Amino acid sequence: METIALTMDGKKISCPSGISILEAADQHGIKIPHLCYHPDLKPFGACRMCLVEEEKTGRLMAACVTPVAPDMVIQTESPRVVTHRRNIARLMIAEHPESCIVCSKGNRCRLRQVAAQLGVGETNLYHLPNFKPLEQANPFIIRDLSKCILCGKCIRADHELVVVGAIDYNLRGFHSRPATVHELGLERSNCTFCGTCVSMCPTGALSTKNSSYVGSPDRESNTICGFCGVGCTLAVGSSNERVTEVNPAHLSESVNGATLCVRGHFAHDFLNSDNRLISPLIRKDADQNEEQWAPVAWEKALDLVAQRLMEIKSENGPQSIAFLGSSKCTNEENYLFQKIARVVIGTNNVDNGGYTSGQFLFNVFDVKTDGGCRINPLSDMEKAEAIFVLGADPNHSVPVISYYLKKAALQGTPIVVVDPRKTELVKVASFWLRPKLQTDLELINALAALLHEKQSYDPVYIDNYTEGFSLFRYSLSSLDLDRACGVTGIDRQCLAEIVDLINGKKIAFVVGHGILQQKYGMHTLGAIFNVSLLTGSLAADGGGIYVLARENNQIGAMDMGTVPHLLPGRQALNDDRVRKQWEKNWNVKLSPDPGLNMVRMIEAAEQGNLKAMYIMGENPLRCLPQPERVQKALAKLDFLVVQDILNSETAQMADVVLAAAAFSEKHGSFTNLEGRIQSFHPAVVPPGNAKSDWEILDLLIAKMNQTKGYETLEKIRMEIRKLVPAYAQLDGQRQGWITQISQKAVFNNQTADGLITFYPLVTTEAHSVDSDYPFSAIVGSLRYHLGSGTRTNASERIQGFDLCGQIEISPEDGAKLEMVDGDSVKVISPFGAVQRTITLKKEISPGEVFVPIAVNSNDAMNLIELTDLADPNSPGWKTVRVKLEKV
Amino acid sequence: MNKPEIDWEKLAAIVEKHKGKKWGLIPLLQEVQENFGYIPPESVEHIAEAMHMFPSQVQGVINFYAGFSLEPKGKFVIRVCRGTACHVRGSRSIIRLMKKELNVDEGETTPDYRFTLETAACLGACALAPTMMVNKTYFGKLSPPKVTTTLSEFSKTKTEEKV
Ligand code: SF4
Ligand code: SF4
Ligand code: SF4
Ligand code: FES
Repeated sequence: METIALTMDGKKISCPSGISILEAADQHGIKIPHLCYHPDLKPFGACRMCLVEEEKTGRLMAACVTPVAPDMVIQTESPRVVTHRRNIARLMIAEHPESCIVCSKGNRCRLRQVAAQLGVGETNLYHLPNFKPLEQANPFIIRDLSKCILCGKCIRADHELVVVGAIDYNLRGFHSRPATVHELGLERSNCTFCGTCVSMCPTGALSTKNSSYVGSPDRESNTICGFCGVGCTLAVGSSNERVTEVNPAHLSESVNGATLCVRGHFAHDFLNSDNRLISPLIRKDADQNEEQWAPVAWEKALDLVAQRLMEIKSENGPQSIAFLGSSKCTNEENYLFQKIARVVIGTNNVDNGGYTSGQFLFNVFDVKTDGGCRINPLSDMEKAEAIFVLGADPNHSVPVISYYLKKAALQGTPIVVVDPRKTELVKVASFWLRPKLQTDLELINALAALLHEKQSYDPVYIDNYTEGFSLFRYSLSSLDLDRACGVTGIDRQCLAEIVDLINGKKIAFVVGHGILQQKYGMHTLGAIFNVSLLTGSLAADGGGIYVLARENNQIGAMDMGTVPHLLPGRQALNDDRVRKQWEKNWNVKLSPDPGLNMVRMIEAAEQGNLKAMYIMGENPLRCLPQPERVQKALAKLDFLVVQDILNSETAQMADVVLAAAAFSEKHGSFTNLEGRIQSFHPAVVPPGNAKSDWEILDLLIAKMNQTKGYETLEKIRMEIRKLVPAYAQLDGQRQGWITQISQKAVFNNQTADGLITFYPLVTTEAHSVDSDYPFSAIVGSLRYHLGSGTRTNASERIQGFDLCGQIEISPEDGAKLEMVDGDSVKVISPFGAVQRTITLKKEISPGEVFVPIAVNSNDAMNLIELTDLADPNSPGWKTVRVKLEKV
Repeated sequence: MNKPEIDWEKLAAIVEKHKGKKWGLIPLLQEVQENFGYIPPESVEHIAEAMHMFPSQVQGVINFYAGFSLEPKGKFVIRVCRGTACHVRGSRSIIRLMKKELNVDEGETTPDYRFTLETAACLGACALAPTMMVNKTYFGKLSPPKVTTTLSEFSKTKTEEKV
């Protein structure tokens, strides 16, 4: 890039051409005051605070919008500049209301800072505050636009960063302000309450709503969001060891930049919930007729746990104990957890909550690519030439990914959405395919067959990196396209248009729970994999396969071996060579018995085969189908330990409850859905006597083994780095990545023989329709809750939003059933029922019903049968046949 | 006369005509405004989707230009000039009379949607001061009696085609 030389404040400087004077100044440590400038936003030049003077011409210009030019002589602090800046600040303050003194923005207000720097106190101008009504009907954001200086940051953030478009300038002159369409409250607009605008606002015009006055935080520290698999970096503000405010940390090369979503920004008030556990508890004998729980010292609680587990192990054998780890706990904690199960107790009965979002299916890619598909940076998405979004509604499940997708769409990348519902992404998509439920597999196979028929595949790539194409193409050419079109309800013409659209393009795939949790999920992932090979996209620039992870450390928990079938590093337990290696690593004999997954654990408890369970950071009573069955099963256990941060439904059944620290209160690391390993430090101390999960586990190991524990987190990390090559970068740095270990040629050009085979072409039976249950219910999430909603329901703000989880049906079905918006309806499946109000939505197809999860104690789980999700022949959890009854 | 009924099919046809065209928003809005006398707020989302814009952006454009309105206006939009020349020649009393006669305030529309009363900073016809416009027709050298007769002219149905 061309560099140019200029003079700034008497110093000769050089900088790349094309950047603004403000950026050049910044690069050379010269601070120019600014209000409307933000590095992530397009320059706007609204506030004029950044005025500088060009000495040669005497021109005053806004530094943020003026590009540098050769030989400029810039003065950033000349008396003339300062006078002008001062006048601008005076005018702004003259228009500002007097409530400034009690503003929650306090000393962080940029306007106050700038005014103070410029020495503007009294303005000596006629005070003319521009009163606008205070808007605070929602529990998240207060808009006090009388404090608005019209810098437009909120609008630009809303348009450019999160691409929602909830607000824009409205009206002119004195009346001008950022407004929603029809000037409705934010809660009645399409605002997603991501809060990005709130963090950007330089004044108190936009602020976070708190139930009581919190003032400016004493301290700010960075950490990682504990909700979804995106792993946003957070700047957590705290006062008196309580988290009072959350903003995007805006660190370099972070996944989220200056954005967050409603959960990350506003739901972290759950950390201060009254329902937090603050001490270990032991259940007292029932006849004591007083308090059921006694708080005890750690020593006593852990002694009891160690003693009971050891007793049960020696009485009933190691297979009578099961360990349910957590997709929310750290890598280090999950590593220790599965080690207790496999090494100390000697069982592979270890799983984590990621089970419920289909983590087992990742196996498809791992087996095919030798672990090559684990790193998919989202920043590569902008290189994709076309994007397929399959069974995913990232606007709700993992909002930051929807920002990436919408930005790509704005730049002109064609997006193909495959979804039974008209999700918000459809608005920006080039194509929306609405296959009949559970026919995604057929659809993708048909697409592959058509790619083949029209010779729109990449022969060079296929030749270089794959094997078995001749067999695969034979099965493609014998696929009955007309049948596939009939089954899916997508016409051939439309498919042909898509083939034309993607011809020769590198494609990124975004795969969501609509695929992961469905009946043919595994084959469907296989079919997607095939298309990525046919088009030469896999491992190519812009050709990522982004599988959505619902929970913050779902990937890490699996990588650390907190799954029954995989040892740390996702190495197959049933591979003798692997198992031998780990026996050597840990100096112990490992059980070759395949362990129980989460559902099988419940079944085993039901049958009385399981005697004890140790549950860390999961709430199966809320997240599994048929909660009554789960409860009965857990009640049969002789001994139940629950280690959690909240007094959850499951904790209330435990014999011993261990109070744990939340992510913001401990050291650790999470691995996000891109394969990014992010380490973090505590922002506040844990409440009461709660301890970090790793400390609890370490103390327990020491007790059970009668040895010294690891004692420091670094020792645990050292062991992981040594034994799990993919985690060589788990070194406590802010971020690292999973190490590429695949020996396949496409990932690693050095080996010419590591060729990839296609996934076999599988077709499905047409499924029969049960006339007793004429509708298909789709269960899915809303952005305000994460997973089953244990934590988000403990958030006062989310509670205050009053979501009732309305059942959505199509207007056609509404007319047929004579139901209107607000009617009460019972949705009944063969397994249970839920009752809620209904809303008619044209986004829903006739014959389908959408049931939001996580609300009303997650009663949507009543509808689904508790069966094995991992088995390709299971009905899947995403959809279930139901009937509707008006109440 | 009631609030004008919107022929939604016609509106959809106008939107369709400009759909997705670069710089197409202003011509689209003009055509809607001309055909319906205003831009129905209900149509903002639809227009936005067709033009690949956010509804809030479309609203911003509508409310930026005085030529567009989100509220239905009267059949006859009266704009009384408030320029200096007209002011000197008594436009204030013209406006006052107008308000009394129509029983509306500035910017308002009569309940029968026949008249909307507006003022303009200058109509550019100072020689005729005080002046006003009714839709696209100028009326100059106004006096209270002239205002009253002009208004009653426009109150009669037969003149509707004239303007
Ligand atoms: S609300 Fe805040 S961010 Fe938005 S324009 Fe006003 S001052 Fe700027
Ligand atoms: S909270 Fe997010 S969606 Fe809502 S207006 Fe602000 S930036 Fe837009
Ligand atoms: S919930 Fe996910 S998208 Fe939202 S802030 Fe947290 S990590 Fe980011
Ligand atoms: S920062 Fe340059 S004009 Fe606002």
